[in-house]
Amino acid sequence: MVGRWLIYALGGGMGHLTRASALARAASQRGHGVVLLINTPFAPGLPLEDVLGSRVEVLRLSPALGREGVGQVVARCLKDLRPDLFVVDTFPRGLGGELVPLLPKMRARKVLVHRDVNPAYVKKFGLARAVDAFDLLLVPGEDAPFASHPRAVRTAPWLLLRAGELLSREAARARLNVRPGDARPLVAVMGCGTSEEVAEAGDIAARLEAALGSRARVRWLMPPGADADSAGLPEASLASRAVVWPALAVLPGVDVLVGAGGYNTVQEARATGTPFVALARPRLYDRQAVRLRPEELAGSVEALVARAAQLASGRPVRGPCLYLSGTEDAVTLIERTVLSA
Amino acid sequence: MSAFVCQENVGFLFSHACGGDAALACMRCAKPLCAAHLRSVGGESLCAQCAREHGDSTEEQHAADEDDPSYYYNDYGYYGAASAGSSWGRGSSHDTNDFTEADGESLRREDDASFEEDMGGS
Ligand SMILES: [Zn+2]
Ligand SMILES: [Zn+2]
Repeated sequence: MVGRWLIYALGGGMGHLTRASALARAASQRGHGVVLLINTPFAPGLPLEDVLGSRVEVLRLSPALGREGVGQVVARCLKDLRPDLFVVDTFPRGLGGELVPLLPKMRARKVLVHRDVNPAYVKKFGLARAVDAFDLLLVPGEDAPFASHPRAVRTAPWLLLRAGELLSREAARARLNVRPGDARPLVAVMGCGTSEEVAEAGDIAARLEAALGSRARVRWLMPPGADADSAGLPEASLASRAVVWPALAVLPGVDVLVGAGGYNTVQEARATGTPFVALARPRLYDRQAVRLRPEELAGSVEALVARAAQLASGRPVRGPCLYLSGTEDAVTLIERTVLSA
Repeated sequence: MSAFVCQENVGFLFSHACGGDAALACMRCAKPLCAAHLRSVGGESLCAQCAREHGDSTEEQHAADEDDPSYYYNDYGYYGAASAGSSWGRGSSHDTNDFTEADGESLRREDDASFEEDMGGS
């Protein structure tokens, strides 16, 4: 049975959007009509429609919309779209608590995408009660507070691309402007999170270039749209800049990935076996220090640069590429939930 | 996008969050910290509380262990080391949310957090 899905993926950064896009893509490929609701400041620059296909409609809310405005838009969306299925990423009460009064009135089946969240938020806002409003809790790839809920099901992490969609090593390196025949290790510094963090990734790339010299190539990755403000950037970082999205596609050509501990970067690095070192960035809900493994986590920019340079100087060894995405399983689980209604 | 603020407690008479710009999180408890409040302890960057706990737990360890990379990670963990790493294939997750001292730390600063206020949170 083909349904009308509304996926709620509000929240800053690229994380909610990317995880929800992975699901939206898999769902639309099975014939479901999907509307994706997002408000990240990165949204305007991203060629989402190209990656998601024509059966996914993307609603980009202004990131400037406050709590009240978001609440009004969400209520309006639910009323107008009358989805059969309502999928909520991360926030069972909604980003501003606006879903609490709306959920009980909805005829749609409700699915929560449940990743790790700050325990203070869980406790203060009674999330144990909030998650009970959902028919299914999907736990993609990492531990989460209610992973043992009777209606919770774990899946492999959700990845935006299928294994066959990743670029080959050669194509990925070419995409990142590495000349054919240049066999030097390639270090990629992921610019994402906030605009400040994208800029800082450029600084880290410049430091790595200085530290590694001609022994390695360094690239500063950033999503389209984040490159608009390049005034005042050091020459070195401009030279190494690569505007690319989704970055997952080029990871087969990357020998050392430098980034932060957000859900997608971490899962993508692990799935592709890319040697990875990261800073734990502070977030309101997300605990990057908890997600990162000790061997991935650097406690300062200095430690990050040192570790990445060390990895790049030795012959970087890729881990096993156990590329496994849980999105197909997630769609199957959701379809069963809808059928059992 | 609002800059994240340091949530380290400061002040002798009236404890309050520092409020400085935070760029990193404590490697153990994920508390946002400014550069002035990150402590480097045994290769880890920690908040004051976690640095104290690290001191307590490593007092009897030999300094020679520092050559072993695993030395730094022996007592790594927040709500138990089980939460470090991908564990979707594992069974119960109870350990990761049992109430711990770190929870008390979170609650003390919950008034400073803008849950459900910041529409750019993630
Ligand atoms: Zn700490
Ligand atoms: Zn501070």
